[in-house]
Amino acid sequence: MINRLITPMALQARGLYVELMFQVMGRALQAVSEVDRDVRSEVSALPEGFLFEMMVMPDGSRFIVEHIGNGHLHYHGDNASRPVDLSIQFKHVAHAFLVLSFQEKTSVAFANDRMLVDGDISYAVRMTRVLNRLEAFILPRLIAKRAVKEYPANLNLPKKVLSAARIYLKVANHFVATVRA
Amino acid sequence: MKNSYYEFFCPVKVIAGKAALEHIPYELTGLAAKRPMIITDKGVRAAGLLEPVISACEESGLDIIAIYDDVPPDSSVGVVKDIAGIYRSEKCDSIIAVGGGSAIDTAKAVNILVSEGGDDISVYVGAGVLKRPLKPFFVVPTTAGTGSEVTAVAVISDPAKSVKLPFTSSFLLPNAAIIDPRMTLTLPPHITAATAMDALTHATEAFTCMAKNPLSDAFATAAIKKVSTSLLTVMDNPKDAEARLELAQASTMAGIAFSNSMVGLVHALGHATGALCHLPHGLCMSLYLPYVLEYNLESIRGPLGELLLYLDGPEAYATTPADRRAEASISAIRSLRDALYKHCKLPRTLKETGKVTETQLDRIASIALDDGSIMFNPREVTLADAKAVLKRAWA
Repeated sequence: MINRLITPMALQARGLYVELMFQVMGRALQAVSEVDRDVRSEVSALPEGFLFEMMVMPDGSRFIVEHIGNGHLHYHGDNASRPVDLSIQFKHVAHAFLVLSFQEKTSVAFANDRMLVDGDISYAVRMTRVLNRLEAFILPRLIAKRAVKEYPANLNLPKKVLSAARIYLKVANHFVATVRA
Repeated sequence: MKNSYYEFFCPVKVIAGKAALEHIPYELTGLAAKRPMIITDKGVRAAGLLEPVISACEESGLDIIAIYDDVPPDSSVGVVKDIAGIYRSEKCDSIIAVGGGSAIDTAKAVNILVSEGGDDISVYVGAGVLKRPLKPFFVVPTTAGTGSEVTAVAVISDPAKSVKLPFTSSFLLPNAAIIDPRMTLTLPPHITAATAMDALTHATEAFTCMAKNPLSDAFATAAIKKVSTSLLTVMDNPKDAEARLELAQASTMAGIAFSNSMVGLVHALGHATGALCHLPHGLCMSLYLPYVLEYNLESIRGPLGELLLYLDGPEAYATTPADRRAEASISAIRSLRDALYKHCKLPRTLKETGKVTETQLDRIASIALDDGSIMFNPREVTLADAKAVLKRAWA
């Protein structure tokens, strides 16, 4: 009886967690592109106006970011005015939860066929590197090691803390601005 | 293990061994196909490899309705459109691809057009676009390396846009792959060596990269054993039909393995080198394999050590301390490459190819970083890492 009550609540909580994490990730991608030169260098190889989406199939949570030039990303929320150029799609919300709760590395999720790539695979590889770099910045080292294939050896503590603080501040400001709007 | 997950899929009927070609008419009839078209290239025809296929069909009263024998090494959207036109005008109802990677990929693309309609193959580009089975399709490989007969991928170039179009769908897989030793008996030593090293690389990367799984492991280890025991036999005696069949089966098994568990940095570097320097794919695999294994060593020590059993046999495995088996596996691959160099001058370094300049290495590294295969490499590869591997592979 209790199980029958708890299970739907747990599933709902999982869905909400994934949605919240997507909102954080979208905003954090915009922020990290403003903070980190390496990320800008990766992103600048994408065409200007390039739309990148991460979503849960078939029509679940999603976020969309756009390359607006010079390696800078802009967070669009969960919709854009035109079709996206690249979409990384989790096959199920359970798979998204595994990755976003750091139980499964992004690279392992790809290897386990949890995700599909719709678009140019070389751009997907590039965006995966950007996501890894973001996670290395904003997560404590112990958790980041669970999220990325290899924690970057050249990321020292002062740089990590300073960058993470700037990214979190920008994300918080963006949330506040969204609420006010 | 409780957190592991994998997928494995291979619905291709493998018809292998003596007089395998003679099974084609029966298999086609079983799919209600009566008007097959052969898609091949001039090299295959000149080598006389079409005759046994045609006579096997005609003896059973099955006429080959059309033959297209002009598939180029790097097939294009125009070629696919032309062949589809011939297929339609001759009212064919099935396709037999006879050849290597290019002929097979072209036939896969033609099958999309003649099954789904239209003249523009680029409409079907990408993954998961196809939603239903295509026309009956058989593959007769004439090289032992690509494994294309069991992969769900085709790559066709679009010269007007200077891009390569990838098509991915399980519906691209043929109904049957016919592995007949007669088809590889005349393969020149240089190509035999390079394509076998391609198969060895497929199997080794399938066994050591991130998407390895128990089923692909079984195919990979069997393929490695066949290559390591039969390749030098074939190099010594190219007419040894039994050893040729072993290599052909190894290629198919390695294809099944890597199409289910993907490949890694060797392929990423190989694709980049092929695109920039126009080196054959199998040669690129042979060039990079030991250097990439050395780079990945600490991440793959366990599985790579296990491969010593299949690369060098039970005696070498038993007499090598467990903590030295991974290095011994790399040594076994190096020894095989040295033997191939003695046999047919198959290059072991980029410098020995004479077709790559040292100034191209940085460009190769940066192209390789964006290759899809790199996602499945067990180590996260940086630009500096890729350059370091290339430097070691240079000379």
